[in-house]
Amino acid sequence: MHDLLQNLILGFSVALTLQNLMYCFIGVFLGTMIGVLPGIGPLATMAMLLPLTFFLPPVSAIIMLAGIYYGSDYGGSTTAILVNLPGEGSSVVTLLDGHPMAQQGRAGPALAIAAIGSFFAGCVSTLLIALVGPPLASVALNFGSPEYFSLMLMALVCASVVGSGSLLKSLAMVAAGLLIGIVGTDLSTGMSRFTFGVVELSDGVGIAVVAMGVFGLTEIVKNLGGPHMTQTIVRGKIQGLMPKWQDLKTCFGPIFRGTSIGALYGPLPGLGGTISSFTSYMLEKKLAKDPSRFGNGAIEGVAGPESANNACAQTTFVPMLTLGIPGSASMALMLGAMIIHGITPGPQVMTSRPDLFWGLIASMWIGNGMLLLLNLPLIGIWVKLLQVPYRLLFPIIMTMMGIGIYSLSNSGTDVLLMALFGFVGYILMKLGCPFPPLILAMVLGPVMEENLRRSMFLSEGDATIFITRPISGAFIFATVALLIVFIVPALRRYRRDIGNEAPQRG
Amino acid sequence: MISRTIPKRLGVACVALAAMASVQDTHAQSSFPNRPVRLVNPYTPGGSVDIVSRAVAAGLGEIWGQQVIVDNRPGAGTVIGTEIVTRAEPDGYTMLCNSSAIAIMPAMYRSIKFDTVRDLSAIIHVTSSNSMLAVHPSVPVKSVKELIVLAKAQPGQMTAAVSGIGSTNHLTTELFKTMAQLDLLVVPYKGGGPAMTDLIGGQVKMFFNSAAAFLPLMKAGKVRVLATSGAQRADYAPEIPTVAESGLPGFESSTWFAIYGPRALPAALAQRWNEAVNRYLETPQAKEYFRKNHMRPVGGTIASFAEYHKSETARWSKVIVSAGIKPQ
Amino acid sequence: MRIKNPQDFWCGVFFIALGALAIHTSRVYPIGSALEMGPGYFPMWLGGIMVAFGLIIGGLSLRLQPDAIQRAEVKDWAFRPWIVLTATLVVYALLMDAGVGFVPSLMVLVSGCALAHKDVRWRETLLLSVLVTAASVAIFLFGLGLPYRLFWWSD
Repeated sequence: MHDLLQNLILGFSVALTLQNLMYCFIGVFLGTMIGVLPGIGPLATMAMLLPLTFFLPPVSAIIMLAGIYYGSDYGGSTTAILVNLPGEGSSVVTLLDGHPMAQQGRAGPALAIAAIGSFFAGCVSTLLIALVGPPLASVALNFGSPEYFSLMLMALVCASVVGSGSLLKSLAMVAAGLLIGIVGTDLSTGMSRFTFGVVELSDGVGIAVVAMGVFGLTEIVKNLGGPHMTQTIVRGKIQGLMPKWQDLKTCFGPIFRGTSIGALYGPLPGLGGTISSFTSYMLEKKLAKDPSRFGNGAIEGVAGPESANNACAQTTFVPMLTLGIPGSASMALMLGAMIIHGITPGPQVMTSRPDLFWGLIASMWIGNGMLLLLNLPLIGIWVKLLQVPYRLLFPIIMTMMGIGIYSLSNSGTDVLLMALFGFVGYILMKLGCPFPPLILAMVLGPVMEENLRRSMFLSEGDATIFITRPISGAFIFATVALLIVFIVPALRRYRRDIGNEAPQRG
Repeated sequence: MISRTIPKRLGVACVALAAMASVQDTHAQSSFPNRPVRLVNPYTPGGSVDIVSRAVAAGLGEIWGQQVIVDNRPGAGTVIGTEIVTRAEPDGYTMLCNSSAIAIMPAMYRSIKFDTVRDLSAIIHVTSSNSMLAVHPSVPVKSVKELIVLAKAQPGQMTAAVSGIGSTNHLTTELFKTMAQLDLLVVPYKGGGPAMTDLIGGQVKMFFNSAAAFLPLMKAGKVRVLATSGAQRADYAPEIPTVAESGLPGFESSTWFAIYGPRALPAALAQRWNEAVNRYLETPQAKEYFRKNHMRPVGGTIASFAEYHKSETARWSKVIVSAGIKPQ
Repeated sequence: MRIKNPQDFWCGVFFIALGALAIHTSRVYPIGSALEMGPGYFPMWLGGIMVAFGLIIGGLSLRLQPDAIQRAEVKDWAFRPWIVLTATLVVYALLMDAGVGFVPSLMVLVSGCALAHKDVRWRETLLLSVLVTAASVAIFLFGLGLPYRLFWWSD
């Protein structure tokens, strides 16, 4: 305990220097602004600023890059809530209830609770990293391929079962999403699958491309359809900028649970904010007294996932810092930045560079505070934006989509794909198919397949490996239980409906 | 009469034009660069090519007094970025910084429309680095020799992680497999992160990976490093033997980083690039920087690198074929 | 037989078609077996699952009355915005790739959006295009340094 206190004091003494405070601020500010622009993600921003960091002392550089990384989550939620544009997988969950809230004039509370939830999650995860960083990383090592596969299978089935719309359609969308995720280079043989000869597809279809097409474009088409175009996004009056006390009380549980979920997923390399947010959303929907509110502006649907997302973003630093294993492309870039500055992350970084380790942790805490202070006042401005007449707003949204997605790899192919997904997405929407399972499946698909094949490979064709390994077995059991719990009532309803049919036809 | 004068006048005109053009050309070359230069990096940001390209860009920027920007164009195993440079104007303002992935491109991608030897001008071999061979502590071997013996005794059971088909460590592993005549079970992963996780967790037994990844873990006892993959011992870890001297003579595998230009780049411009990079590599900052990053600056002439590129391409193509990797 | 639930019926048709397409495309790749799954194994199974779901959804649609919450009819199809907005994005992508330049491509993008609804006000659209393009050039080209040429004659 005494050690921890000493380390924290060291950390804060590093983080609270004027220089590091400034770079922390620059990082989170840039991160937020970048996050607001869909498509251009934290990775590209970090990369663009990487050369600048050469001239900075290592600790300042890392603090700034980290600020960009977790700052962009805040910005991403903003666009998702305001205009239904998800910049990345985790933003997709935010818009499910966030945008309806905006349409009901409650954009302010939605944005505020997103910021508050993220702040809370950030503080708690920072503490977690400080206290149990290395042990957390060791737990992650017990996760082999079968565990990853079973966990993701459970998450997918959960998403279908808890989501809106029919279970069958959700599962079909899961299959479709998995298929989209398969586009690209096959892991084991290096063959290109489903790329139809297009070189740009050999690395797969980007999540932002699909999400923006399926949510962003279809939303605009929907708003423009009908005899009268939507006047403004907000239907009716703006109902205050801040959450009511009642809202805060309702969100206490979701924020707490979301943080726990995110903190569990973060240290597992390869899983990310998307699955964290989805899991939190599904949990909250399951626990709510009136699940039908979800999808129509339930504030818990924003609070939980946002906390999960931010907790995941912070704890994802754990394997990188303690073992030198990057859990995602952004972490790989941070790793590269550290190496360039002569710091080798690994088990000994806490002892060889305590100023960096604890300074970073302290600055993450400070950064989260800065983000809260930065974003809350901005809410007033964002809400004003919502009152711009839609006929002027939607071309701006289209422009943001066009530029943002084009900038992903400076090629029009991604924009064409986004248009395709928007086009087909509208058909699917009209046919009553829910999109969240598609998105989750797309994100998880390639990783699932990789782990499935590897599990079968290592077990030499023995499929029982998924059940005989305890952690994996637990996930499989939960999956089957979920399916049974949901299919049985549905079957009963089917039999009853068929029974009702009989007299008419007789 | 006419039939002889016109060709002659035409000839004189052509020579005059050519002379003017070459004067223009030399002028452009001598004032090179007079606007920002683009160094294409065919990887996503933050990788080892970034470590090399961004440092070289900064160094060249100082030498030339002009901005040198690194442009990340990832995709398709460096094909996308490389193709951009093959199609660029040969004016020295758009160049490529790639890793030895370029040597296996012809063998891995049959469908590409360019030739890595003919459509690119080799400029310079910037740095080289080697990988390390590590095993999980539970594997009862302390040297490469013992590993080979153990693997031969358990055919098909020694699992070796590789971070992607066609990657450097995959080919290094295949070379190891072929030269030692082992029946290793190659387990592919998507990227170094998951592979490392499984190695440390014991789900897989051996892995060829970078020094930066293994050194801290070795110190903490989480993995046991057996050898380095180069021809000589690494100066950042002189106590670790090479694979060649500890059980598999003749084994050598390096990852190298190099700069290329588009086809038909004028020799003078190529020479300017070569000289500038060589100058940068000789500065103490460059030496220190690459040493910290476990890389060896190489440099050298255009001709020597062109030779190296050709020989590496041929060598690794053979490895790909013998590994049974099907090209796309 | 009357279709009780047209929405579900067409949904079923869609998935049967998509699944069949997936199976057909997967056959090009080596399938392998459960132990050594080839690249085509997973996608082929996915296609099969989709076809199965499509059949079930479609089949049920012929028999079951829709729930109160579900909409049975497929109606109110917003054709004009659907086609125009998609086409505008396509044109924008092609223009940018052709090197026409950031400014003309954006102008086309914003103007194209205006066509998506009946209420086309040309002066307003033009003004909006200019403003949006100018702001985008400032933010993206100067602010973020994205490497796009302004016009087709720029470098």
